[in-house]
Amino acid sequence: MEIRQETINHVAVLSLEGRLDASSARDIKEKVSSLSRENRINLVIDMAGVDFIDSSGLGSLVSSLRTVNKLGGDIKISALQDQVRAVFELTRLHRIFGIYDDSTAAAMRF
Amino acid sequence: MDHKRITFIIESDMQNAPLIGMSVNRLCLAAAFSTIEAFNIELCVVEAITNSIRHCYGGKVGHEVKVVLTFTKADIVLDICDIGPPMERDLLDRAVIQCPVGDNDNIESIAEGGRGLAIIKEIMDSVVYRSEGGENCLTLRKKLPVKEET
Repeated sequence: MEIRQETINHVAVLSLEGRLDASSARDIKEKVSSLSRENRINLVIDMAGVDFIDSSGLGSLVSSLRTVNKLGGDIKISALQDQVRAVFELTRLHRIFGIYDDSTAAAMRF
Repeated sequence: MDHKRITFIIESDMQNAPLIGMSVNRLCLAAAFSTIEAFNIELCVVEAITNSIRHCYGGKVGHEVKVVLTFTKADIVLDICDIGPPMERDLLDRAVIQCPVGDNDNIESIAEGGRGLAIIKEIMDSVVYRSEGGENCLTLRKKLPVKEET
């Protein structure tokens, strides 16, 4: 899993590339923890490059949301591929995360 | 022969789960499952393999996970097998998709894990677990797509 970071509208945008599963779940948790220690707690996770997600990957996003939420922040998700969006809907987690078509639209919602 | 069968064996390393997942996906596409159905079946296989590695083998490498894929005339059948302590007896029965409440005040009440079996039950037509002689197998079954008459 590759994680690229940029800033849009003063919001950190993490663009993921690859599979978000049991072998990569820790990467995203560690990245969000690291950002939260710098008080960067409003984040967009751009998933345009994620072609597979499983329950471990979803768990890493829930864990990351908890981390920033405790500090008053939020995570918004952008650019889900159709199959990945279907997994969010299957597990009802689309009700918890704000989901947007692209990272700019997501960043502008903070 | 009515059945076509292939057996995959991987070492119990999470990095290996996609090898079988992606192979199963391609075989499902070849069997005329749609892209989304093939993805979903891949997801179920990966969830089952992850459960085996995490719960039966405690996340440790050096053990084997076996996946047997069988195409019958009507179904795709996947047996995901490990050798070790069996899954808790009623875990499969209790697995359901939780419905989170949609506001940030309740984030702490949302479980980080424990969705794997519920996802499998939601997607597959049948899910059966058995443990015999030290081997545990989760058997997943999905009806093949109906071929359209030409």
